[in-house]
Amino acid sequence: MTRDALDPPGASDPAAKPAKFHWRLPYGGETSGGTWAHKFSTEDGMPDLQAQTEFCRRAEACGIDSLLTDFGYGKPDPMLLAATLGRATEKIKFILAYRSGLFSPTMFVQQLNTLSALIQGRLSLNIVAGYSPQEQHAYGDFLSHDERYERTEEFLAICRALWKPDGEVNFKGKYYQIEKGALKSRFVSSERAWPEIFVGGGSAQAQRLALKQGDCWMRLPDAPEKMRESVAAVLTGGVEVGLRLAIIARPTRREALEAAYAMTEGRERDREFVRASVRNMDSISFKAMFELSEAGAEWLTPSLWTGAARAYGPAAIALLGGPEEIAEAILEYKRLGVTQFIISGWPKLEQMVYFGEAILPAIREKERAAV
Amino acid sequence: MPLRFHWSLSQAGDKSRGTRPRSEMSGLLDFEAQVDFCRAAAASGIESVLMAFGFYRPDPMILSTALAARTERIKFMVAVRPGVLSPTAFVQQVNTVSALTAGRICVNVVTGNSPQELHYYGIFLEHDQRYERADEFLAVCRAFWERGEAVSFSGKYYTIKDGKLNTPFVAGDRPAPEIFLGGNSEAAEQLAIRHAHCLWRFADTPANLRERVPPIIAKGVEVGLLVSILARPTREEALKDAYGMVETLSARPQRVGKEFAQKTDSVAYRATYELAEKSETDWLTPCLWAGAIPHLGSAAIALVGTPEEIASAIMDYKAAGISQFLFLSWPAFSRPDIEEVTYFGCEILPLIRQKEREADAAAYQVSPMGVI
Repeated sequence: MTRDALDPPGASDPAAKPAKFHWRLPYGGETSGGTWAHKFSTEDGMPDLQAQTEFCRRAEACGIDSLLTDFGYGKPDPMLLAATLGRATEKIKFILAYRSGLFSPTMFVQQLNTLSALIQGRLSLNIVAGYSPQEQHAYGDFLSHDERYERTEEFLAICRALWKPDGEVNFKGKYYQIEKGALKSRFVSSERAWPEIFVGGGSAQAQRLALKQGDCWMRLPDAPEKMRESVAAVLTGGVEVGLRLAIIARPTRREALEAAYAMTEGRERDREFVRASVRNMDSISFKAMFELSEAGAEWLTPSLWTGAARAYGPAAIALLGGPEEIAEAILEYKRLGVTQFIISGWPKLEQMVYFGEAILPAIREKERAAV
Repeated sequence: MPLRFHWSLSQAGDKSRGTRPRSEMSGLLDFEAQVDFCRAAAASGIESVLMAFGFYRPDPMILSTALAARTERIKFMVAVRPGVLSPTAFVQQVNTVSALTAGRICVNVVTGNSPQELHYYGIFLEHDQRYERADEFLAVCRAFWERGEAVSFSGKYYTIKDGKLNTPFVAGDRPAPEIFLGGNSEAAEQLAIRHAHCLWRFADTPANLRERVPPIIAKGVEVGLLVSILARPTREEALKDAYGMVETLSARPQRVGKEFAQKTDSVAYRATYELAEKSETDWLTPCLWAGAIPHLGSAAIALVGTPEEIASAIMDYKAAGISQFLFLSWPAFSRPDIEEVTYFGCEILPLIRQKEREADAAAYQVSPMGVI
């Protein structure tokens, strides 16, 4: 299925619009440490509504657009969590991470439409094809990496067809067959007729999928010059580009470095856990990222550090430094055409607040100066 | 054991429920009306509200979560169709709701009653295959709820390897949700016996139920009745409202109930429809009325009468082995659901509890002589 009239006009000059900043919502049991080994404990499986609602409200106050709500067998279901948190907040949106293969696309759209009516459309989607075969097996999914991308494309094509204003959906693909599909609940939002779709993944398949069915391609950061080509290709296709990354920001670079080393010191057990997890993954970009950091290529640029990935997983590739240094690094990505950022930081709440107070104003200032 | 009562939330707040073909129904919510209904139901002795599943409705799992945040006691009986999601993802959703609501969730398994609608969801299995798959689905779910080793399962429809979930089912009183299952077919009975706590049946005469219910109970499964209710202070008023409803419906060109009965492959829907068609009168018992079925479908089989008549009819069912009731009401024709449920709580439920106490006392007196 090709892209259709539902699409907004392609971002003609991405640098002219202010960038959007999203943050990862911490799970119930996550302490300020939040390493991967910890992520798989039962405390994380339990929502902590008080702390999470507080996090949402602080995010609203910080100028954060959306909170990424992860999906995985270690965690509660993202959209049900968003249904509760969204009704306790007013502005913050939720980027719900999901994978194809777990739901009938019709049922998935029905759930999202119902949620949209309850939280004024404050949701978008982060669709990934899955990075761990073991985890997919736990959900009854035994497809290979490439097949999962093929299926995800069919899945999103059906979802998008169901979000069209009217008409029934007929689809006959390799993985899904839908006959006269229709839903009465609509996607409710004052801004859009369907949720914004982020497609995550560094492989060529992920990029292709984003171009066909996404609104924004999400990837891990690299040195800007190494990203130039792939970013340009995606932008030409009318799709935005976003980065999933961490920040380690302190008032000075020296303090940031000290924090980084303290964070990763003595984490042998976590490193073993991450090493084993990554070994079992079939995600191309996660593996590549991890191998870089294992090979000792810790600094991809003077402020882009892979060191935390060894204890915290591949999404912990981090911009490190003082506020000015980080703001400048983000602006450099923006000049390439990157317009959205999904960030994590440590300690989780404090780092987001620091970003809102010290870094975001610097970024906005630079954005104004650039226009 | 005292009888347990549930009520269908359905489209509380949507006055058109049951009056139009499903394809014309609105999926929009009147959320505040539904919150009010949930609170009134809890105050009226209703244990849970049924959250139905269908393409013309909002999603029951999401809606339950949002309603639970505004209520304190009522439970949500969330309908699920095996086949629309991975059992692992389903258990994860149920467990998440339990953690967000202090365990106020139970599950109503429906295998689907309209082949056309199942095609919307990408399901192309036949009736019996759907039951076969539901059997595997529930086996996987229950293995997750046992919380022992990682779950592995290899079946015809599902293969799961080393399944784990960190979000447990959280409820003070149980390690897993109560499972209800609807259906009249042999396949439904067998499935309930294997996996469910309670099998829902459409209402029938106590005499018919006395034959079919005991063998199921003997296998350790409760049997509940799904029945509409129209209660008024006098029999005249009840009849006037019931017949008035049929009059309104007869003026409409479309026979929603009849059309649906022709298309469905659900044994329960067809059986109840045929029961109504074959009966020489609309009254299967002095209190059990089939007059609305041709217009509204099988779920419109109804208890109609005064509080005393309905309470007595319910006690007759209890004597036949029925232990739970799931009521539907007709907001479009007579009065809003919230009034019907409140009337039940004020006028009928106290009579039932009184009769239950009397019956218990009588049983206690005769049991030493071995009569029971």
